Amino acid sequence: MKELSCSILLLAAASIVAVHAQAQVIVIANPGVKASEISKSDLRDVFTGNATSLPGGGNVVPILLKAGTVHEEFLQVYIGKNDTAYRAGWRSLVFSGQASMPKSMDGDAAVVEFVGHNAGALGYIGKATPHDGVKVLSIK
Amino acid sequence: MFHKRNAMALLAVFAISMVLHAQDFKLGSRTVQMHGFASQGFAYSNDNNFLTMNTSSGSPAFTEGALNLSMAVTDKFRVGGQGYARKIGSLDDGRPALDWAYGDYKFAPWFGVRGGKVKTAIGLYNDTQDMAFLYTWALLPQGVYPTDLRSTLIAHTGGDVYGRINLKKAGKLDYTGYYGLRSVDDREGYTYFSAQNGINVDSMHGRTEGWDLRWATAIKGLTLGTSWANLTMHRNLNYVGGPYTGFYYTVDSRPDRAWVGYGNYSVQKWEFSAEYRSYNDLEYIHFLAIPFNMPLNQSTEAWFSSATYRITPKIQVGVYHSNVHYDNPANKTDSAANHIYDEVGTVRYDLNSHWDVKAEGHFMDGYGDIDSEQGFYAQWNPKGLKPKTDMLVLRTSYNF
Repeated sequence: MKELSCSILLLAAASIVAVHAQAQVIVIANPGVKASEISKSDLRDVFTGNATSLPGGGNVVPILLKAGTVHEEFLQVYIGKNDTAYRAGWRSLVFSGQASMPKSMDGDAAVVEFVGHNAGALGYIGKATPHDGVKVLSIK
Repeated sequence: MFHKRNAMALLAVFAISMVLHAQDFKLGSRTVQMHGFASQGFAYSNDNNFLTMNTSSGSPAFTEGALNLSMAVTDKFRVGGQGYARKIGSLDDGRPALDWAYGDYKFAPWFGVRGGKVKTAIGLYNDTQDMAFLYTWALLPQGVYPTDLRSTLIAHTGGDVYGRINLKKAGKLDYTGYYGLRSVDDREGYTYFSAQNGINVDSMHGRTEGWDLRWATAIKGLTLGTSWANLTMHRNLNYVGGPYTGFYYTVDSRPDRAWVGYGNYSVQKWEFSAEYRSYNDLEYIHFLAIPFNMPLNQSTEAWFSSATYRITPKIQVGVYHSNVHYDNPANKTDSAANHIYDEVGTVRYDLNSHWDVKAEGHFMDGYGDIDSEQGFYAQWNPKGLKPKTDMLVLRTSYNF
C-alpha cells in the first residue's frame, strides 16, 4: 500500500513537471512585417517552403529552432510532422532547386536576435522568452 | 565490371561528404548555400542479377552523390545548380553530370517561371527520385521509378510555369506546366540494353510537354494529384553485331503519352502513398533502306502502394507493392516476361539528422518484357532468367 501511494505521488509529480516543461509557442516577426496576425494555413505554408510572402504583401523568411521542446511543439501544433519528416520536406525543395534551407538557431534568444535584425524574418519561441524588438503575430 | 579503383574513389567521395557540412558563403551581399549528399548500397539476390550488378554474389556497385549551390538574387529571383554522379553496376560511370541548373522568378504566390535544366514534375517523387535520404526505401518502387531509366523523365531543358492557388476551405492547388527538350543519358539502361543486342545508339533526342496538379485537400495530411506528359523521342541506331551488322535505322515515339494519378496521406506516425502510371507508347522503326515504318507497342502500366510507420523518432518501417505490366503482344499472357511484381519490406534507422541506414527485402515475381530495358539484363544473366528474384538491399546515405 505504501509502495502504491509512493508510485501515485511520483506519477503526479512527473505529470506536473511535464505540464510545466511543455512550452507554449508564440510566433514572432520582424517589426517591419506588415501583418499582425497569420492563419494556421499561411503559417504552415511559410514554414514548409510553400510560400515566401503573406497575404497583404511582403516577403517573409522562416527561421527555425534546431531542436528542443518549443521546436517539437511548433511542429506538432502547426506543421503536423515530426522533425525528421519536416526537414525531409525542406531537403526535397533544396535538392530540386526550389528553395534554400532556412536558418536554424540554437535557442529562443538567438531566434529573437535574428528576427529582430532581419527584414521579413518569422520565427517561433517559447511564450516566456523575452522578445523585445520583435512583434508577436496572433494565430487565427 | 566494378573496378576496385572506382570503388575506392567513390568511397572516398562518401567519406569526404561525411566531413563536409552545409555551407553558406557570401557572393557580394548575397548568401550562397551549398548542400550535398552521398549514398552507398549493397545488394544480394538469389539466382537473377539485378540492375547490371553481380547481386547473386553480393554487390557494392551502388554509389551516387550530388553537390548543389543556390542563391536568392532578389526576394523573387533564385538561381542554382546541381551536379550529380552515380555508378550502379555497369550503368553510368561515376562521371559527374549536370543534374539541374535554372533561374526561378516568382511574380506572385500563384505565378512563377523557371528556365534552364529543370526537374520534371510528374507523380509523387519524379523530381527527387535519386535523393535516397528523403525516403524510407532503399529503392523506390521500380515499376514506377526505374533506377536504370532515371534520365528518361527526370528533367527537361526548357521552361516551367508554376504556382499555388488558394482554394479557401477546399485547400490549396499547386500547378506546374512545362515544355522542354529531353536528354537521355547514354550510360543508362536503354543504351546498355541495346548494346547487349548488338545495337549501337548513335543519338537520342526528343521533347516533352506536360502538366502536374497537386491538391493539398481540406483533409489534414491528404494530398491528391495528377500529371500528364507528351513525350517524343528520336533515336538513330545501327547494328554492330549479328546478321544485320551495318544496318542503320531510326526509332520514333509518336508520341509516348504518360498519365499519372497519385495520393499521399499522413496521419500521426503513419504515411500511406500510392501512384499509378500509364504509358501509351507506340514506336515506329524505320530501316533506312526499306521504305516503310514498322510499329512496335511499348506501352506499360505501373503502380505502387505503400505504408510506413515511425516506431520511434529514429526508426521507421515500411512496406510496398510495386507492379509493372508490359503490353507487348509478343509475350504470353501471365508469363514472367510481361510483368515485374515486387513485395518489399524496409527498416530505416536515422543515426542523426544527416545520416541514415536502411535494410530492405525485395520479393520479385517476373523479370519484364523481352523488348524492354528495366531491371534485368541478358548480359548479366547468361544462363537465362528465373521467374522469381529475392533480394536484400542495404543502403546508407549522408546529406548536408
